Amino acid sequence: MATSAYWRTRIQRYRLMGNKCSSCNKVFFPPRLVCPHCGSVKLDECKLPEKGRLVDYTVVYSAPKGYETVIPYVIGLVELENGVKVVAPITDVDVDEVKEGMEVELTIRKLPEQLEGGMICYTYKFRPVIK
Amino acid sequence: MREVAVVSVGYTRVSEHWEKSIKALFVEAALKALENADLSAKSLDGIYVANVFAGCLQGQTNLANVLADSLGLYDKFAISIDAGGASGALAIHEAYKDVAHGVRDLVMVCGVEKMSEASPQEIVSALTSVVDQEHLKYTGITVHSLAALIYKTYLKRFNKKQEDVALMSVIDHEHAATCHHAQYPFKLSLETIMSSAILADPIRVLEAISPSDGSAAIIMCLHEKAKELGLPHVKLVTSQIARDRLNLTERDDLLSMKALVEAAQRAYSSAGIRPSDLSFVELYDDYSIMGVIALEKLGLCGPGEGVELLKSGEVKLSGSIPVNTFGGLKARGAPLGAIGVYQAIEAFLQLTGNAGPNQVKNARIGLTHTSCGFNSIVVINLFEVCC
Repeated sequence: MATSAYWRTRIQRYRLMGNKCSSCNKVFFPPRLVCPHCGSVKLDECKLPEKGRLVDYTVVYSAPKGYETVIPYVIGLVELENGVKVVAPITDVDVDEVKEGMEVELTIRKLPEQLEGGMICYTYKFRPVIK
Repeated sequence: MREVAVVSVGYTRVSEHWEKSIKALFVEAALKALENADLSAKSLDGIYVANVFAGCLQGQTNLANVLADSLGLYDKFAISIDAGGASGALAIHEAYKDVAHGVRDLVMVCGVEKMSEASPQEIVSALTSVVDQEHLKYTGITVHSLAALIYKTYLKRFNKKQEDVALMSVIDHEHAATCHHAQYPFKLSLETIMSSAILADPIRVLEAISPSDGSAAIIMCLHEKAKELGLPHVKLVTSQIARDRLNLTERDDLLSMKALVEAAQRAYSSAGIRPSDLSFVELYDDYSIMGVIALEKLGLCGPGEGVELLKSGEVKLSGSIPVNTFGGLKARGAPLGAIGVYQAIEAFLQLTGNAGPNQVKNARIGLTHTSCGFNSIVVINLFEVCC
């Protein structure tokens, strides 16, 4: 992916921005250009809740290019407080201590893969909520 | 609509063909299909080329044009079709429509893929590239991890054990053991599968497809023309396609597989048959769990009963509904864009009585199920024996 493409998606990637449809009021992620529910193009950017619940997860041992050095890592299915679901990396917890149903919150983290020229990449991840 | 037949097939073994280029693989399968029908390339009205990874792994785009040229077809219709794992079946679907509607009379569909020229990491990236990259690139999410979430949901919902689901791979290998074109023509025990490395928990390496090279070609034409040619042929009764949301998180349920249900129902209805009328099924098991779910969604058993059907033995060659009669994606092998064409060839071999030791008795109707992106695109093709 080119630097410009990485830059272009930084808002959703850094802040977990989705859309709210101004016609049917549905909220969704990832962001779109057309509402998948009613077809409207009147979509507003919408900040998604930063907290949610880990519905399920998997531990990844076979990684794509650039991620070989960080296996095993956890990918989770997170249901946010407004019901929107997101698949995302889970961080700040030992692989053995990840539990279904655990409360998680948004954080921004560095990825192992870098763009050409060494530009460091970041993305949304979720970590356990510390009570 | 005009009736459509498959009159000839040609294919390479699925393997790691280090010594052959994508062009060489294509020409080999295409020439075999032509030779088996005693036809010349010049007699074709066009070719449909299914491929997924030539652009990213070989740096070769414009593939249909390149391959038509390599076959000496300089002035004939040629189109590339890319729909991930559904590419081969979708190419057949397009050819079927053209022949059925009188656009072209005699065509060749070829699926070709060369995945062995890539590292394991490049393969994971390539396989993952069928899902939305603007969204998922730079997250570390892989296609294996998405399949793993489906797998875990299934085990929990139906209270099943992984060992039961992994039986799908055992049976695939049992069928491939006597298949000359299989990439892995040997039996595998459940213990070996369950002790293999983990791709994404709980999926084991031996429950998933591996990188494959291969090329498969079929020649399709008007049913009347097939009779004129005097060749053994089978009818392509119907070809149905359905789509669903690509993002799993946007589906109501990870296990719903709406497109698969819809395409299957339309295929049965269009052909006027029920699942129990099928003589055999070639289904898309890129992961063992996806094969088990397909058994259920195709209506071969009820929800959550896929593993019972596997255990019953009815899906073996001697059973009431043989599944993946030459080893399926796991053991015959899965050159991604060619999968649907290999399945069609396997249906052809069964229905013309040329399946050798893998022959299903009294084979009359065969179904092929091909999918891309966890059944976000599904193509169901139904083949029938010609009297």
